[in-house]
Amino acid sequence: MARRYDSSTTTFSPEGRLHQVEYAIEAINNAGTCVGILAKDGIVLASERQLTSGLLAPAKTSEKTYKLSQHSTCCVAGLTADANILIDQARLRAGRYEYQYQEPIPMEQLVEHVCNYKQAYTQYGGLRPFGVSFLFAGYDQHYGFQLYQTDPSGNYSGWKATVIGSNNQAGKSLLKTEYDPESTGELPSVEVALRLAVKVLNKTMDGTAASSEKMELFVMSREDTEEKLCVHRILTNDEAQKVIDEVEAEGAGAGDS
Amino acid sequence: MSILEYNGAAIIAMTGKNCVGIAADTRLGIQAQTVATDFKKVFKVNDKLFVGLAGLATDVQTLDQILRFRQNLYELREERPMTPKVFSNLLSNILYEKRFGPWFVEPVVAGIDEAGKPFLSEMDLIGAPVYTDDFVVSGTCSGNMYGMCETLYKPDMEPDDLFETLSQALLSSVDRDALSGWGGVVHIITADGVKSRVLKGRMD
Repeated sequence: MARRYDSSTTTFSPEGRLHQVEYAIEAINNAGTCVGILAKDGIVLASERQLTSGLLAPAKTSEKTYKLSQHSTCCVAGLTADANILIDQARLRAGRYEYQYQEPIPMEQLVEHVCNYKQAYTQYGGLRPFGVSFLFAGYDQHYGFQLYQTDPSGNYSGWKATVIGSNNQAGKSLLKTEYDPESTGELPSVEVALRLAVKVLNKTMDGTAASSEKMELFVMSREDTEEKLCVHRILTNDEAQKVIDEVEAEGAGAGDS
Repeated sequence: MSILEYNGAAIIAMTGKNCVGIAADTRLGIQAQTVATDFKKVFKVNDKLFVGLAGLATDVQTLDQILRFRQNLYELREERPMTPKVFSNLLSNILYEKRFGPWFVEPVVAGIDEAGKPFLSEMDLIGAPVYTDDFVVSGTCSGNMYGMCETLYKPDMEPDDLFETLSQALLSSVDRDALSGWGGVVHIITADGVKSRVLKGRMD
């Protein structure tokens, strides 16, 4: 039944669905998981690095995390080739806004711009949608640190913590129980958020042993200087291993009770 | 009246031993009338690279904004800072794009490349570059500045010596020019960082 209405993006099905968009979202469910967690003093983005072959040349740059401007970074789940186009779009938009207004682009405007670009491929032209979901992490002076999730439909939403990519439902259910700022009255610190992110990745990657080669941990925070520039930091293998070990130790201790 | 002489400027850049210095006056005038004494004409591109823009003030400021936009994009895509040579070529390209309606700016590029070697370049308003290993000048009193540099310059100066030479060359040049002066700044760039100082000169 869906077969007649699923080959064109510009056609609704009788149930009111856009099948091409839904298939694009399916493609992302096979991609490496990305976790985003909002902390009190920053944002944590943790991603699963999927190594497809031992013959691949060692990565010179990240395949998951990309800086977009001084105050924003994103991580990718889905088709890398599609993501590259959108990342360039985002960088240009942020740069042009800052050139025009001599002020950094507010996060939501940047996310909305990328999403509007994605949406056009669900309505015009006979082109397929982008098979990418993003987690956008950034800071602006109006709303502080913010985390946004986007999908191929061009829809976006703001989150305190979320997961995209493979096994994201399992990840999200873990976050629902473990990420609870209401009980403490404030958001967790970056260190706590890092450990929680690793815990979530452990669950979504279940079966594979956690290691710093397979997990990319990224932190965004602000310097304590007058300029208050944003600091974008991908943890080194040693730093990442330390967090992974801490989580394992916590887990081993709690498991016995 | 020449449009390049409407606002007034004086910029000198010199090489030293594993360092470069760039100095500029800080006058902003509207022909004869001085309007500001704190007008920025030298801009930091990155820790090892500065650009000085002499010419029409509005174009000086706009080009600074354009260059920052392009440099940001480069660093995001290439994940490394722009080297002086690359930046100089980019600037030359940007200027030539407006070949038949140019930016009224004659820039000076001063920096240290990845190997620590000093780099200087100067270009005209449509991007014709000149690369030297001693000094480059640009501004309304360029004749004065060439004379002073030719006399005072010696190769392989240490950073403090370079500062003194640059300052004296600039101060003496602008004193014989009505359109430049009214204060000055000097930046000395070494592998360890940048030292910026404000010059005390004749405020006339």
